[in-house]
Amino acid sequence: MTIGSNVVDGVEERTVPARLTPEQAATLARGAGLEELGVRPRFGGYVREVWGYRHLVWHLSSAQAWAANQNNYLGQLWAVINPLLLVGSYYLIFGLLLKTRGGTENYIAFLTIGIFVFGYSATAIIAGSRAVVGQIGLVRALRFPRAVLPISVTLTQLLVNVPAFAVLIVMIPLTGEPFSLHWLLFPVALLLQTLINLGLAFFLARIVNAARDSSNLVPVGVRLARYVSGVFFSIPHYAGHGLVSALLLYQPLAVSMTTAREALMDQYALTWGSWVAAAAWGVGLCAAGLIFFWRGEGRYGSN
Amino acid sequence: MAATEVTHHRPSVVCSDLDIVYTVFGAKKKGTDTGGDLPFVERLLTKRNPVSSVRKVHAVKKVSFVVGHGEAVGIIGRNGSGKSTLLRAIAGLIPPTGGRVWAAGRPSLLGVNAVLLSGLTGSKNVMIGGLALGLTPRQVRDRYDDIVAFSGIGDFVDLPMSAYSSGMGARLRFAISTAAAPDILMIDEALATGDADFQARSRERIAEIRRDASTVFLVSHSNAAIRESCDRVLWMDQGRLVMDGPTEDVVRAYEQSHRKVTA
Repeated sequence: MTIGSNVVDGVEERTVPARLTPEQAATLARGAGLEELGVRPRFGGYVREVWGYRHLVWHLSSAQAWAANQNNYLGQLWAVINPLLLVGSYYLIFGLLLKTRGGTENYIAFLTIGIFVFGYSATAIIAGSRAVVGQIGLVRALRFPRAVLPISVTLTQLLVNVPAFAVLIVMIPLTGEPFSLHWLLFPVALLLQTLINLGLAFFLARIVNAARDSSNLVPVGVRLARYVSGVFFSIPHYAGHGLVSALLLYQPLAVSMTTAREALMDQYALTWGSWVAAAAWGVGLCAAGLIFFWRGEGRYGSN
Repeated sequence: MAATEVTHHRPSVVCSDLDIVYTVFGAKKKGTDTGGDLPFVERLLTKRNPVSSVRKVHAVKKVSFVVGHGEAVGIIGRNGSGKSTLLRAIAGLIPPTGGRVWAAGRPSLLGVNAVLLSGLTGSKNVMIGGLALGLTPRQVRDRYDDIVAFSGIGDFVDLPMSAYSSGMGARLRFAISTAAAPDILMIDEALATGDADFQARSRERIAEIRRDASTVFLVSHSNAAIRESCDRVLWMDQGRLVMDGPTEDVVRAYEQSHRKVTA
């Protein structure tokens, strides 16, 4: 073999077989039925591909949900203890010291539902925003549609919160709420809330992947939402019935709590408004979020 | 030259003018940083020394080649010459900044960092790795015993992978990656941490995979390993492909080039 050398930028280029032109390469690849890498697939094909990976989503979520509380002695019990401690401290601050119980008949039930339901959204949003950057090892090792990651992270958080919701169902009658058939709607409320969380995870995961620094803002946003979404106070009682109140009441995170309270508390009758709003937010955010996330496909893991 | 002929008949990877530039966070040059003694606020205000500098690294420059089914291609070059980045791009894990890459079917990359999810047990990693490679849960369960037996990690399979030695992690990952009969198998230094017995078994497995008309890429700093498994070698230097040809020719030229440097 002859060694022909030409020097490019100080690097000696020795023997490289004749280069194909980009057009020749494209023709050759197409003729061999090869797939081009690093390009975004069509949306329909992408959705089908994600569906094809549903088993991966399930195994990833269930394994990580179980691992979430494994690295300490009490293990899975913490999934129950943590929210209870939070209810205790919030009751002390808002129920006894600041007295934000106005407009509620059963403040403990009101507060408990608020904390557990909002807690689910809070952890799901924070984890969802890091769905891609937090699992970069997986992204760099294996090729699969990246939408699997926000979906599995959201599902993980739902599974992690299942013990907390079970505690909630046990606690509610202890606070004096009468049993009602409306309780059967609670899982529906959780499903709609999960769709909302997933939609937000799609948006945030892509934004955080593109602009790393924004992940520092997500917890701040969640904290702000905790104080304006009516976790520990009744929005109509304190904000009245004007435009501001409607905006606060119908934003996705507040709507999730309203539907849960309507399902579980005697004081709140079921209203079409909140359930339709929750369904619209859930489906809308999920669809828009998936499209937004898909538009970034092919760029995840590039840095 | 048989391998080269296969190349032109049934290509499995086509790489055309591939360019990869990536961003590194927190890549501050220490030596040139004279603002280190300044108070934090002043450092923020000094333009030359941003709080966290972000640098662009041009890791792969205008690389083109065609590889066929059944070929085993070694990639050699000094540290930082762009070998691993090139491999990740062919695996579809890093999008090209410029140029295009095409590949057949499903590539499987075995990197230096073998652990997928370090907090999870080996057996969960087998399931997740297998599913991500496109197997069904039933197929993974059917092959589970073989995967664990091949990896030779025994009871450790029920411990979180964070408790594994690097050799054990690499063995399990190799077993997972090859269980799915990938169309393209890429091994990035992952075998170097295995013991002699495992290296022998993995060489056999690689030969089997090649017989199934899959393509194998091997990045290694061991010229002996490259000579043993590959019939063609790409030599990378500073992000460029400097030589592409039969193993003996390229490896010999590469070895001569260090002699020149050390002499």
